[in-house]
Amino acid sequence: MSEELNDEVKALESMIGEEYKYGFTTDVEYEEFPKGISEEIVRELSKRKNEPEWMTDFRVNAYHAWKEMKEPDWFNATYTSPDFENLLYYSAPKQRPQLDSLDDLDPNIRETYEKLGIPLEEQKMLAGVAVDAVFDSVSIFTSFKEKLAEAGVIFCSMSEAIQDHPELVKKYMASVVPVRDNFYSALNSAVFSDGSFCYIPKGVACPMELSTYFRINNMESGQFERTLIVAEEGSSVSYLEGCTAPMYDENQLHAAVVELIALDNADIKYSTIQNWYSGDENGKGGIYNFVTKRGICKGKNSKISWTQLETGSAVTLKYPSVILQGDNSIGEFYSVAVTTKMQQADTGTKMIHLGKNTKSTIISKGISAGKSQNSYRGEVKIGKKAHGSKNYSVCDSMLIGQECGAHTFPYISSENPTSSVEHEATTSRVGEEQIFYLMQRGISEQDAISMIINGFVKDVLKELPLEFAVEANKLLDVKLEGSVG
Amino acid sequence: MSEVINKATILDYIGSDIRSDATSVAIRAINMRGRDVIENVAFPTRKDEDWRFIDLKSITKNTFVSVEEANTAGHGDLSSHFLPEALNTRLVFVNGVFNKELSSISDLPNHVIVGNLSEYGEHDAVKEHLGTITNYEDDVFAPFNDAAFNDAAFIYLPEETSVEAPIHILNIFTDAEQAFYATPRLLFVGEMYSKATIIEEHIGLADNVYLNVPVTEFKLFAGAHVHHARIQRDSKKASHVSRPIAMLDRNAEYHSYTICLGAKLFRNEPRVIQNATEVDFTVDGLVLIDGDQIADTHSIMDHRFAHGNSHQLHKVVVNDKAHSIFNGKIFVAKDAQKIDSFQENRNLLLSEEGKVNTKPQLEIFADDVRCSHGATIGHLNDEEVFYLHSRGLTEQKSRELLVYAFALESVESMEVESVEKLLLNEVIKYTTRD
Repeated sequence: MSEELNDEVKALESMIGEEYKYGFTTDVEYEEFPKGISEEIVRELSKRKNEPEWMTDFRVNAYHAWKEMKEPDWFNATYTSPDFENLLYYSAPKQRPQLDSLDDLDPNIRETYEKLGIPLEEQKMLAGVAVDAVFDSVSIFTSFKEKLAEAGVIFCSMSEAIQDHPELVKKYMASVVPVRDNFYSALNSAVFSDGSFCYIPKGVACPMELSTYFRINNMESGQFERTLIVAEEGSSVSYLEGCTAPMYDENQLHAAVVELIALDNADIKYSTIQNWYSGDENGKGGIYNFVTKRGICKGKNSKISWTQLETGSAVTLKYPSVILQGDNSIGEFYSVAVTTKMQQADTGTKMIHLGKNTKSTIISKGISAGKSQNSYRGEVKIGKKAHGSKNYSVCDSMLIGQECGAHTFPYISSENPTSSVEHEATTSRVGEEQIFYLMQRGISEQDAISMIINGFVKDVLKELPLEFAVEANKLLDVKLEGSVG
Repeated sequence: MSEVINKATILDYIGSDIRSDATSVAIRAINMRGRDVIENVAFPTRKDEDWRFIDLKSITKNTFVSVEEANTAGHGDLSSHFLPEALNTRLVFVNGVFNKELSSISDLPNHVIVGNLSEYGEHDAVKEHLGTITNYEDDVFAPFNDAAFNDAAFIYLPEETSVEAPIHILNIFTDAEQAFYATPRLLFVGEMYSKATIIEEHIGLADNVYLNVPVTEFKLFAGAHVHHARIQRDSKKASHVSRPIAMLDRNAEYHSYTICLGAKLFRNEPRVIQNATEVDFTVDGLVLIDGDQIADTHSIMDHRFAHGNSHQLHKVVVNDKAHSIFNGKIFVAKDAQKIDSFQENRNLLLSEEGKVNTKPQLEIFADDVRCSHGATIGHLNDEEVFYLHSRGLTEQKSRELLVYAFALESVESMEVESVEKLLLNEVIKYTTRD
């Protein structure tokens, strides 16, 4: 025990002063693209990506829809709204060679990956994780493709999917998050740069965990990712998404759209670790993370599970949702949101019960420190025909320090007399008695607090895939270092 | 403000001139203040976050005239509504107008005032506190009451005085040829270490349409101790929008219970403001609705200072096509440490066509607090029904008994025996369905 603790102390010590480990940029030449947004820009973007006409039309229609929409302002967050006319809507590394091995990769990019700690070479052998690394909007490298192809799984960049599997993209894209769903989904539909596409055929359990590392690297370039995962009847897949970004002063906008579709008996697990640059002590800089994530349990007995660890970004507005349409379908949401410094997070989930005997579970843990504001905003809706449905929600908040705030806004509604909804929420601080108890056993205050916090979020972190769970614990410690005590 | 110009104001649904003929300067000042607001502030719509679930048609499709113009019917014999415990501590208002003959005040301790506010316009407590506590944002209903009220209940307790008998404020609404509006009001000022129990009742005698917009203001000085029960039995076609608010000083205790049985549309916005340290308060509620009733409670437990206990139990039973909405907010200001606040909302949805919305809300800006809430929406437990069924009760009776038991908890805490009995009868009336 003591040895372990010593190791832990050492690990912690080594992390002290670790401000933002991943704050650096790589010099890569970029193909110039004009700033701002207009129909011409959208058409030009589509042209550069060599897209078919239906895709261009989709973008242009989305652009016009977006033009008519108003920027939402109902969040519990204040920020300067992004200057949409001053954003760069397309950026791609100049060379985009087709690579057979890592050695052919631009050495600069390769170096970035290594700094980031993405051992592409090792991962091939070790983790059994296929990595579709997105470097500033364009996929450069996709590994394990063959192994996946053997199983019949399609895992590629969205651009490739538009070229190679137009029938699937046409059928499913914007079927869960319609273009007009919200301001940012419309914007994303018009200018999405790239993203991942994943299709698991009938009866296939995806042979490995799929993961993508996003990285925003171009100054002033908003990143508009688009991810679409379709799990056919009886298939299952686990998808991992992790993010880091360089340290910049300019606010960068990230408005992604993620759509999940689970058909009969299918199972999708989507995990995220988000650690983008959150701005400095005074709230200068940092990423705006305005993401629309939604899944639909279309088929009977299907299941969608969201797990997220949100630690980064200056402003996070994110509500991964599940529409429980198929009878007996299951939706889950496990979330830890940590805010420090001047960060603002307004995050939560929506569980829309439409089918019979549908079940949903929400476990949300919010930790606010520094001068940050952390809000849980969730909706649970039991439709008229959702007989025998059940929801269970827990939203716990922990406050560290006297200048932060924690807020809970759960919207709950039921129109069915055979269903039940249970919601509970608490707000508290790290208990003095708890700290005292641990210190009395010889544990330092900092370690005691760290242990208590790890216990607080354990219910959620245990849902993360193993690779992420390790990283997640480390991230939490680093993030809260110095704010407690 | 420019946006407001094209939108409807509450005056669009009012068919009479709202004049102030109050003789008291204090009342007239409030009347004027209210007028200014209602002329300029837009009437709420579903686009407003606080009103998004509620259907306000039963107000907006009508035009309400003043009581004088509505040709109201007589009230008949009201003695069955009098509480035996409050035979000499009773104020009666018929359609918002004070009725001296029906009221009965005697045997009060020295310097205690229970009477019509318009007769006490010059009292220091009135001048100082009337209209100063209400703080509803962008509101049109409290200002509407401000603008239109004249008669009101006024209760004043001097230091270290307690009134043993419950004080019964009976608001009676009669039948009328036209839909009318009424603006009952209650100002309670309790000086240090005073103590009282207030029963505020709203009863609709007929099945007519009217708009009831009451405001109650409770100012509790240090150590004051008040039980406040509000029983709403308006006509099932009436709309009732109420603004009960309490401001608590150090060591004050305020326990309120709102029982909602009547009205087509009931919107209640209780607020309790902790204005000093070490207070204790309760904001309980029981809602029993059926038919096409809508009952909406938006409560705020506003903790502005350190050390406080607060508790809220809001129980709801929904049957037929009724719709219940609950939005309870626990607010803890920065530096208001050591607050212990708990809120519980339990909903029983009994019918296919009923609907329940609930939004328990925590807004916490202090770190050393313990605040929690729980909300459930559910149905009767099948096993419990089966158990009673197996003991020989019909299934119907078993269900009725379980609903009765669910509602009982909120009624039992009632301090006045006759009120408890009355409510039990109401609960039985509600649960028994043939």
